[in-house]
This record gives sequence, structure tokens and C-alpha cells, in this order.
Amino acid sequence: MEKEEAKGFGLNRWLVVLLLVAGVFITGRFAPITPHIQLPGEPITDVLFTLPILGPFYLTNTLLATLLVDLVLFAIAFAVVRSMGDENSPPRGWANAFEAIVGALYNIVESTAGKWAKTIFPWVATSLLLILTANWLRILPIFETIGWMHEAHEGGYEARELIQGVEYIVAEEAHDGHGYEIIPFFRGSSTDLNFTAALALTTIVMVQILGVRAHGVNYFSKFLSFGSFFSMWRRKRLGPFDVIMPFINIFVGILELISEFAKVVSFSFRLLGAIFGGAILFAVITTLVPMVSFGIMFLELFVGAVQALVFGMLTLVFATVATISHGDEEHGEAH
Amino acid sequence: MDPEVAAILVSGLRYLGAGLAMIGTLGAGLGIGILGSGAMQGIARNPDAAGAIQINMILAIAFAEAVAIYALVVALVILFVG
Repeated sequence: MEKEEAKGFGLNRWLVVLLLVAGVFITGRFAPITPHIQLPGEPITDVLFTLPILGPFYLTNTLLATLLVDLVLFAIAFAVVRSMGDENSPPRGWANAFEAIVGALYNIVESTAGKWAKTIFPWVATSLLLILTANWLRILPIFETIGWMHEAHEGGYEARELIQGVEYIVAEEAHDGHGYEIIPFFRGSSTDLNFTAALALTTIVMVQILGVRAHGVNYFSKFLSFGSFFSMWRRKRLGPFDVIMPFINIFVGILELISEFAKVVSFSFRLLGAIFGGAILFAVITTLVPMVSFGIMFLELFVGAVQALVFGMLTLVFATVATISHGDEEHGEAH
Repeated sequence: MDPEVAAILVSGLRYLGAGLAMIGTLGAGLGIGILGSGAMQGIARNPDAAGAIQINMILAIAFAEAVAIYALVVALVILFVG
């Protein structure tokens, strides 16, 4: 048993070392090319159809990458269900691994959210797993490398033919003004504001719905806190503090309302900035030190995991804050 | 001004603007430093609470880091959009 284990580990270790050394030499021979950097996702199809108000629809490479992420998640889900086992056989492989992950996540959610854990947990786990898969899949070699080739507006690189109909670009300046660049089929989903903003909007709308479920209409007294303003009129004697407090409460309510919108913005731009910044960092590092540029990939893995964790944790915190009771005086009045 | 010179000047000022936008990371760096120091002291005083402190620290660092990332987004928009 022990001997077998050592043998297997040894083989894998040499394979990793071999791949690393090969990587250094191959990137030294074929230096990575700085891609065309663009913030919105590039369209990879012509306009598919046009809607009256919303405008033209086309498939972008970030959307295609999101679909790939969905496929991977579905595949993992099926693998987990298949290896779940029944009364006779214990769960194997995938099911065990995911039981550990989901169990650890559920413990975190339960320690924060308490009795609302069952409601909040699916949202946290879904956004966390989706973002984690999206951030890690963009390390794959097919991302940002394979795609349609087209003539660049400015700059661009020399193109050579690999086989019939398939060309590749080399790191040489275009000689007669006909440079080419690549629109990749896949680009990391989180580098598109559409992906992150959609997730952020979904999360914040969910938080409001959870708040209404927990407190009923009373939830909105957080934003429109006129409660203490009206109770001021019913008082017989007013101190100076009793007059100032209602106005402060109204102002705090306005701030709360603004902070909900700020949450959407901060959610979406945090994820976008971290991942898009990482993509550009990689492009810059490859031109500076092409030999060891794969090292930055480990940073990308770490940043991707941390951003996914942060998105999930913030979802958890906001949802929990919305469900726990706020402002005792409003509560006292309702009853 | 000669339009060619103006175009060169604008493209140069873009890089300057992006660099100035990244000054915003100064605050985030300070904030993360303070957070890390606080978490270290907390763990040193109470090593049993290391797990909980770590998770909360990462969460708080993400908040502080968000400011730096906004600066980065502004710099990237200056450089690559429009």
C-alpha cells in the first residue's frame, strides 16, 4: 500500500517538473503575444436578431465562456449524483469531495445566518461556485487564444498559415500595414461587466425579497423611516433631542437607500476589476518575462478563489443583515 | 495647436491620468496593512480564534481592496475605453 502510493506520487511529481521545464522552453521559443485589450466582450457572431427597444443581439465570447462554465457545473452535478450511491454502496469520489465542500460552506452560513441558513445557503453556494468555476476556467489554454482572425485597425501582427484554412499570428510587426489580431472564442466571464452586474443585481434584489419575507412591509421602514417623525407629534413634551432625532432618522434612511445601489456597483466592479486587472497583468508580465510568465497563473488562481469567496460571503452578510430585526422603535410601533 | 501634436499630447496625458488614478491604491494599502496588523495581534492573543479571525480579515480586506480595484477600473477605462 505504502509502496504503491509512493510510486504514484513520484510519477506525478516528475510529470509536473517536466511540464514546468517544457513550459519555460516553449514560452521562450514562442513568446506570448499581447492580445488586443478591450473592456466589453467582443462579438463573435453577426447580429442574430434585433428587438425593438433592446437593440441588436449577438453572441459575445464572454457569454460563450459563461455557457461553458454552466456546462462544467452541470457535468460536476451529474458526476456527484452518479457517485452518490444508495443504501448498499457508500458514496464515492465526487460525492465525498462535494459533501466536504458543501458541508464546510453550510457551516459558515449557519454560524452567521442562524435560522435563515436554509434560505440563504443556496444563493451563497450558487454564486460562489459559479464565480469560482468561471475564474478558474479562464486559466485553460483555449481561453483568449483560439478564435476568428481579422485585420487589425492599428498595429496587429504578422499571420502565417498552419494548415489549410487555419492560421496563427507570430510576434512580428506587420510589414505592409496588414496586421492581424484574434477575437477569441472564449474570454473569462468575469472580465465582462454584464456577467458581474447581472450577478450583483440578482443578489441585491434577492436580499430585498428576503428582507420583505422576514419583516413584511415593515422592511421598507429601513429606507423611509418616518416612524419617529410621526411619533414626535404625539408627544406631550418635546426635548431638543426629540426634535432632532426624526430628521436624523430620515437622513439615515436615505443613506440606506443609496447604499443599496452602491452595493450593486461595488459588487460588480470589485469582481470585474480584480479579474480584468489580472488578465491585463498577465498580458504585461508575458511581455516582460515570457520565460516564467506561468508563475502569475498561481496568483490568478488565488485571486479568483478569493473573489469568489468574497462574493459569497458578502451575499451572506447582506442577506443576514436584511433578515435580522432592525430599529427596535419601528418594531414597537407595529405591534 | 497642430492636430498631430495634440493627438500625441492626449495619448500621453491618458497614461498620466491612469497613473494618477492609481494613487487611490495608497489608501487601500494602508487599510490592508492596518487590518493585517490587527488580525495578527488578535491571533497572537487568542490563537484558538485564528479561523474566525482569518475569515473576517479576508472579508474586511476585500472591502479595503475594493477601493484599490475601483481605482484600477478607472485607470483601465481611461486607458482602454474610448
